[in-house]
Amino acid sequence: MAETTTGTPAIEIVGLTKVYGKTRALDGVDLEVPQGSVFGFLGPNGAGKTTTLRILTGLATPDQGTARILGRDVTDVDNDVRSDIGFLPDVPGFYPWMTAEEFLRFSGGLFGIAGEALDARVKALLELAGLTGVKQKVGGYSRGMKQRLGVAQALINSPKILMLDEPTSALDPIGRKEVLDMITALAGRTTVFFSTHILSDVERVCDTVAILHKGTVVTQAPINELKERYGSQKLVLEVTAQSNELASLFSAASWCAGVEHTNGRGLTLTVSDIEAARVAVPAEVAARGLGLIRLEAGEVSLEEVFVDLVGGGQ
Amino acid sequence: MGGFKTFLRKEFREIFKTWRIWVLPGIVLFFAISGPVLTAFTPELLKTVTTEQPGVIIQIPDPTFLEAYAEWIGNLSQIVLFAAIIIFGGMVSGEKKSGTAMLVLTKPITRTAFVLAKFVSNLVLLVCTVAVGTAVTWGVTLAMFGEAPAEKLLVSTGLFLILAILFLGVMTLFSSLVDSQAGSAGLGILILVVLSLLGLWGPALEYSPAGIMSASSSYLMGKDPSLLWPSVTSVVVTLLALAGGAFVFSRREL
Repeated sequence: MAETTTGTPAIEIVGLTKVYGKTRALDGVDLEVPQGSVFGFLGPNGAGKTTTLRILTGLATPDQGTARILGRDVTDVDNDVRSDIGFLPDVPGFYPWMTAEEFLRFSGGLFGIAGEALDARVKALLELAGLTGVKQKVGGYSRGMKQRLGVAQALINSPKILMLDEPTSALDPIGRKEVLDMITALAGRTTVFFSTHILSDVERVCDTVAILHKGTVVTQAPINELKERYGSQKLVLEVTAQSNELASLFSAASWCAGVEHTNGRGLTLTVSDIEAARVAVPAEVAARGLGLIRLEAGEVSLEEVFVDLVGGGQ
Repeated sequence: MGGFKTFLRKEFREIFKTWRIWVLPGIVLFFAISGPVLTAFTPELLKTVTTEQPGVIIQIPDPTFLEAYAEWIGNLSQIVLFAAIIIFGGMVSGEKKSGTAMLVLTKPITRTAFVLAKFVSNLVLLVCTVAVGTAVTWGVTLAMFGEAPAEKLLVSTGLFLILAILFLGVMTLFSSLVDSQAGSAGLGILILVVLSLLGLWGPALEYSPAGIMSASSSYLMGKDPSLLWPSVTSVVVTLLALAGGAFVFSRREL
């Protein structure tokens, strides 16, 4: 399992560019994934998440830039890098004539794992995937079963880095929960690099996130820090009496980007100049003879951060 | 060549657990049995036609084991080779299309090992199938005609195998190059047509793989076809095509 030392990043991408015809799928992506993190690689469809993962796993080559896994360039070392990673593509293709156990044994064999070590890992992973005792061929599996087997096969070599491409995007709520539970169970044991466009999944399992938009990383930070950063641009205030006049006044202010009524006497302000807002809000409340019950930084969801960064149209 | 043995073992298991064990062996066995039987009964069948149409007289000499062998080689060179080209058309691209290549090739197996294992498994299937078919057609020929010298059958079938392996190599290249099974099979058939046409030109017949195409039947007819250079160039082309397939697939994006 992964070492959780902070030295070499698990994944380090610098200026990664990939062009397909006239489309720049990746446009100078910079990214650093710390070892031991559960890293959410978030972006709308077509942002370049899958292309990044394909380059990291050696399925595609970059036009410019470098991608390193545990300090080794992915284009230089081939099998050496692949021994350290586990990968689940967005639509995993299995041999339909195999059972889950057969596929796990086959996968283990490709990593050179054999004998008792392979027996033990296959048993543990079948259990983790909830597929113990399932004798059915993979061709007859549901999408959820395939995804769970996909995560299991990606873990057969006890990878230092587990890369999952949209592992929950086509699953029903139960299937999603099962796969997310598997990922949660891995936290602290290996580095998980997890691409998705589902914000709630990232909020639930990831500790760090990067947001990719139109082939560029627009932000990267621990989720809490990101929320704090964007939360500081929200102010929640509560006054002693309802005041529509106050709401109208704030709406027109140059430092205010939006006003939302939260209850009869409460307002949530989205601000563009936090310093100006901190001065103006108490002054305007007092000027109207109202008392200030509460004035604090607001909570933002990852969805709000995401929409703010990539635009509401996405 | 990391992962070669594991992947090759998977290929063999796949042959036995899927349709692959039935198609090519089924076709070969069908012709192995039906060839000598049809050859033996063709005069009888034609006699039936002549008795139904008064005034028509067809005189046919009694068939021999040589005609049964010629039927076998004819079926191998045309129908079986054609079927093999179509089947082998998806040998590499099929895994890319189904997404299994993506799961396999993100593990420690080189793309060269992947392509080579595909070639070796299909080579074993082809050789074993033709060997069993040859033994069956020899047995049926012996039963139908009372004599079946093995040498002529073995040499002519061996010459066919050189041709079939050449096409296996060529299909490895095309299947690595083209994503569609139909597309690569089409290219394979084009090569078959080109080789047939080249066979009309003397020097090509003597030195190129085109000579192997007609060598089996020429040998059966008692001629002494030029075998050395067509065999050598066929092996060289097979190896070049195999290396080309590995090279092309190593540089393709999946």
